[in-house]
Amino acid sequence: MSLLYFQNVTKNYGNSLILDNITFEIEEGEFVSIVGKSGVGKTTLLKMLIKEETPTKGRVFFHNQDIAKMSPGEISLLRRKIGMVFQDFKLLPDKNTFENVAFAMEVAGYSEREVKRDVPEVLKLVNLESKANNFPCQLSAGEKQRAVIARALIQRPEVILADEPSGNLDPINTWEIVRLLDKINQLGTAVLLSTHDKEIVNILEKRVISLEGGKLIRDEKEGKYLI
Amino acid sequence: MISAAKRIFQTAWQGLKRNSWITIACITMMTVSLIIFSSILMFNHAANFLVSALKDKMDISIYFKTDIPEEDILRVRDELIGHEEISKIDYISREGALELFQERNTNNSVIQKALEELGDNPLSASLNIKARNSDDYQKIVDFINKSNFTSKLITIDLTENQMILARIGQLARGVKLGSFVLMAILTFLSVIISFNSVRMAIYSLRGEIEIMKLVGASNRFIREPFLLEGMLQGLIASCVSTLILIPLVIWLGPRIEGFATGLSINLYFWSHFGVIFLAQTVFGIILGTVASLWAVNKHLKI
Repeated sequence: MSLLYFQNVTKNYGNSLILDNITFEIEEGEFVSIVGKSGVGKTTLLKMLIKEETPTKGRVFFHNQDIAKMSPGEISLLRRKIGMVFQDFKLLPDKNTFENVAFAMEVAGYSEREVKRDVPEVLKLVNLESKANNFPCQLSAGEKQRAVIARALIQRPEVILADEPSGNLDPINTWEIVRLLDKINQLGTAVLLSTHDKEIVNILEKRVISLEGGKLIRDEKEGKYLI
Repeated sequence: MISAAKRIFQTAWQGLKRNSWITIACITMMTVSLIIFSSILMFNHAANFLVSALKDKMDISIYFKTDIPEEDILRVRDELIGHEEISKIDYISREGALELFQERNTNNSVIQKALEELGDNPLSASLNIKARNSDDYQKIVDFINKSNFTSKLITIDLTENQMILARIGQLARGVKLGSFVLMAILTFLSVIISFNSVRMAIYSLRGEIEIMKLVGASNRFIREPFLLEGMLQGLIASCVSTLILIPLVIWLGPRIEGFATGLSINLYFWSHFGVIFLAQTVFGIILGTVASLWAVNKHLKI
């Protein structure tokens, strides 16, 4: 049984065709890079997995459950199983690192005891334990992105969706983030990385799904960025 | 559970403080609405008291011609007392009427002199009839008009009392209606301002709300603080309006009692304080909740 399944997914915005009949599966524990030029529909694809977007045609499945048919309550639960990492971080400016990460546990109803137990561990995993009391304005771009990854990880998701996570980072920080995602993947979490960074994709030597003109043009197990 | 409640309360309280001027405007409008609401409750009591007091004073007086002997009048009395609508009949003789008249006009020398000059007693004997139910007076009058002793009567005195009662009833209804209309307008304005207050809170927390949605917060988790914010506005307004009403009642009470003896607004207010405060608080909370629900459903896209 696949973790994620896109079945003949098409997306239009008015008369504009963004995605055209996309079909692919992601297994548990896989690391998949989705590549393509800006505006090709990578982010739209990822948003469909948390029902921020719905397909115009076709279906998207999470563990064989059609996401479009999920109730609001089921969507909330789904989003706790899917960690999101964004290019623009989306950290709360008036909460420090610890509180930003803990926030994800609070919304899921974890107790204070569980928060105090788990958050330091996750901060350690992303090398931010010394920055727990710092606010986002006191963190570098790389540290912010690691804080976002920590928040994505805290609920032990089954998959992490990373949408251009290195878009605002310098090359050194970029590699740190990619290595971190790889490490998380090795621990068993599937990773879906959307990027237009050729270097990252080519060095990772993981599965690559290439999009062009809204179509899926290539799906290679140890792929390269060939667009 | 306790930490969830704490979070909801903290977020709601933050929302009130963040947009403090709008919160103040909202609570002010609600306070005015609630004062009018409580005033209507007390006015209702006052109006019922006045109407009831007047109904108690109501009676029918039938005046007999001066040449009708006392036995005939007493026979009429005995005939009437058997009717189920009639609770009591008092007979006032010509002499008794004169005594009463002289007592009421002791200080009026003109009337005293006129009586002296007349020499004879000009007043009639009468029967004062009290009904069991104030709605039956007209029935009694109709019966008397159709009776065989009508020819012995000079006049039946009811019409004037009835008109006064009808006018007071009309006035009371008019004031009640006016108050309801005023309260409806103020309530509407309160809801609009509260709606805007919650809408601004939603706007100022939009970043946090977006992240809440993305990390899997339930709809309830997101909505609850805003709903509580509306309720808190209603609760605070209720407390403020009570603090205003107390000195108002203490000041107005004696003045109203001077105008209408026996009508103690103070007594009514304090003996029904719990009910008034509860009714007001419930109304205020409903106002706030309705406004919040409206704002949340309209502006919180979840």
